[in-house]
Amino acid sequence: MRRWRYFGYRLVFALPVVFGILVLNFFLIQLAPGDAASVLAGESGAASPEYTALLREKFGLDRPLLEQFLAYIANALQFNLGYSFRNDSPVFELILARLGPTLLLMLTAFGAALGLGTALGVLAAVARNSWRDALISVITLVCYATPVFWLGLMLIVVFSVNLNWLPTSGFENIAEGYEGWERWVDIGRHLVMPGTALGLFYLALYTRVMRASMLEQTGMDYVVTARAKGQTEGRIVFGHMLRNAFLPVLTMAGVQAGNLIGGSVVVETVFGWPGLGTLAFNALQSRDLNLLLGIFFMSACLVVLINLAVELLTITLDPRIQA
Amino acid sequence: MSGIPTPRLSRRALLLASAATAIAAPAAEAQTPRPGGTMVMIVNPEPATLASYAVSAGNIPPITTQVYEGLLTYDWDLKPQPLLAKSFEVSADGKTITFKLQEGVTFHNGAAFTSADVAYSFMEIAKKVNPNGPVILRELEAVETPDAMTAIFKLANPAPYLMMSLSSNNIPIICKSVFEGTAPMQNPTANRPIGTGPFKFAAWERGQFVRLDKWEKYWKPGLPLLNRIIARFIPDAATRTAALETGEAHYAGYSAVNAADIKRMQANPILGSTTLGYGTTAATSVLEFNMRRPHLAKKEVRQAICYAIDRQFIVDNILYGFGKPAVGPLSSVFTTSGWFTDDVRHFDVPNRLEIANKLMDDAGYPRGANGVRFGLHLEVNSFGEQWLRQAEYLKQALGQIGVELTLRSEDTATWLRRCYTDYDFDINEPFYSAGADPVIGVHRHYVSSAIRQGTTFVNNKDYRSPVVDKLMDDATRELDPTKRADLYHAAQKQMVEDSPGAWLAEVQYVTIFNKKLHDHTMGPLGTYEAFSRAWLER
Repeated sequence: MRRWRYFGYRLVFALPVVFGILVLNFFLIQLAPGDAASVLAGESGAASPEYTALLREKFGLDRPLLEQFLAYIANALQFNLGYSFRNDSPVFELILARLGPTLLLMLTAFGAALGLGTALGVLAAVARNSWRDALISVITLVCYATPVFWLGLMLIVVFSVNLNWLPTSGFENIAEGYEGWERWVDIGRHLVMPGTALGLFYLALYTRVMRASMLEQTGMDYVVTARAKGQTEGRIVFGHMLRNAFLPVLTMAGVQAGNLIGGSVVVETVFGWPGLGTLAFNALQSRDLNLLLGIFFMSACLVVLINLAVELLTITLDPRIQA
Repeated sequence: MSGIPTPRLSRRALLLASAATAIAAPAAEAQTPRPGGTMVMIVNPEPATLASYAVSAGNIPPITTQVYEGLLTYDWDLKPQPLLAKSFEVSADGKTITFKLQEGVTFHNGAAFTSADVAYSFMEIAKKVNPNGPVILRELEAVETPDAMTAIFKLANPAPYLMMSLSSNNIPIICKSVFEGTAPMQNPTANRPIGTGPFKFAAWERGQFVRLDKWEKYWKPGLPLLNRIIARFIPDAATRTAALETGEAHYAGYSAVNAADIKRMQANPILGSTTLGYGTTAATSVLEFNMRRPHLAKKEVRQAICYAIDRQFIVDNILYGFGKPAVGPLSSVFTTSGWFTDDVRHFDVPNRLEIANKLMDDAGYPRGANGVRFGLHLEVNSFGEQWLRQAEYLKQALGQIGVELTLRSEDTATWLRRCYTDYDFDINEPFYSAGADPVIGVHRHYVSSAIRQGTTFVNNKDYRSPVVDKLMDDATRELDPTKRADLYHAAQKQMVEDSPGAWLAEVQYVTIFNKKLHDHTMGPLGTYEAFSRAWLER
């Protein structure tokens, strides 16, 4: 009961935070020189001044800043993210179209990295200073240090161009027009390389944190006690230590979960994956402020929610941490 | 045929064809076109919108010209040919143009195509919201529609360039009933185009692809041959190359792959390449000098900078050989039409550095103790890394004449604002397409009436030459080709002498295609024209 009340409190406190983010974003973005009209006119190459003025009027950029701000806040309070004039489309629709592929890629990469990273971390800690530990350390170091774009391109060269096992890029094969199960298999084939390229970085991170955390637990009194009781090594590791050692990894994963919605510009670019990262990057490049603010707002809300969920999970894992 | 068309023989076509055969595979045995199949083309970058009637960014027409058609198309000699207009007739005074329209044409929504659609497309759409409208259609006063299949253009003054600007990518014909009573830029079909073209719009998954399906009721019998076209968007150049190498994509125009990769791809047996299909682009890389700045206000300094640059070096090393040195403000693409002249001051002379240094001394800027006369900033073009490489070369080149160049790289919005609104630059490094006529894309960079603060890619140099203004103004209205050519020759000579900018290289685009794809480049418009005759070998 108390836990849920706490949860309610935090939710109420989150509102001013989100509002603050809204205000800050709006004015930060105004600091960037140039506007959407000039970029669009520039791309047209031959635009007349009348055309640029027409664009400004259409985008509402000719109105005073305060008026633009109030209109924006009023819309945001009604969860209306506005209209992207550059893309001739409502912002919400643009974000929604990218949300699925982004979550699919990020959850796959993130989930696999978290699971596998935890397992490898435990394995390395249990067999500390053995050849297995050394091997895992070397692998994680290489994964951590390899630039993601290079890894991505090498995967394409090896598995697409040379071996012809996997498609180079994209979300699915449109030319074939697959349906039902075949379509999901096809999407899965497209997911393998971007998921791997992105996941290896997180894998390295979680392995190292988990290993360190496990080693820290080894000397704790409860472990010594458990060992003195004559418990098996397996039960000590999986029954006692794992749950405690997992907390730092969870905290870190919670912080990084914000990236879920942000996507990864690099991986999306290399593999032509339709994610939110490139959408935000292009919006910034083209000064598409409505779209950019919409993405910021969505990710701010999601980060707040994920943080709450992680806190709840932490309390569940370790009841000593009190609200 | 291996996808390389056989243009009618002309000087221009021969020139282009010889350039193309040098890098394209020789024609295989003749094959008969077969219908069906899905063509995948790469378009880069993904367009922001498909409203080609209101936005003229270069990455939109490869998609929209499959859907929207114009009144005319052009043959290999850039002579107007019928498309939606069956025939056309220009009156002797050049002020009346009569178009007879194709009969039996239907829009993708089932509406019949009539002269009312033509009148609406020009007077209500192109003239009002097309970025090129105010220039191309300046003289157009009315479109009369005496009957459903006749459209008569009434002009205030002769406009010889107008006939060069009526292709599907310039002024698309839209359906009046779809647009009537709506604001054109908020029209629901902005991103779901409805036209008369061989392919109808099917779907756009943002960040992934646009799908176009065969229009069964297309007015040209038996066409198109393909069932479907998919335009894919792949942001990374290396991945685009890989997609072509694996056969996932069949076609990539406008040098969508890295120039450095092209030689390797030409060695790939499944791929072909062509430099045809860019006849109306006339793309030239230039430098713009801000003549408001004291150093650059002096003609000697501007000329000295022109002398300091080795244009052949830029072509060989920055463009990997895909281009040729530029001699002046008009591209040599205008040789056939007669507008171009080589009779101007030449900067690529053997003793050019000697001349440049002497000009600098004469201008009153001796070298300082460290060999530097003065410093300038160069605004690096933000549209791709090749411009940074060019900027790095320019820094070296100008160093030879004692000008210390500082490079400044900014993102597109900041760069455009600095150079075209704030005028806070010394030297700018843009890249222009002249279009099919100098009026479309050349005048605005040099005439003083085009000094318009806040407008991108116009005269930001503060170049004011009454001589050039007068010559270009006269050329806009001159109907006699010989007289018009004389006017342009005089203007070029004067501009090169004044050097308000430096003309670096005429850029040659390359198309990479899968050899299974045939008949894709059928005219000078290339990928700015529908793939109605393209077919896939299976």
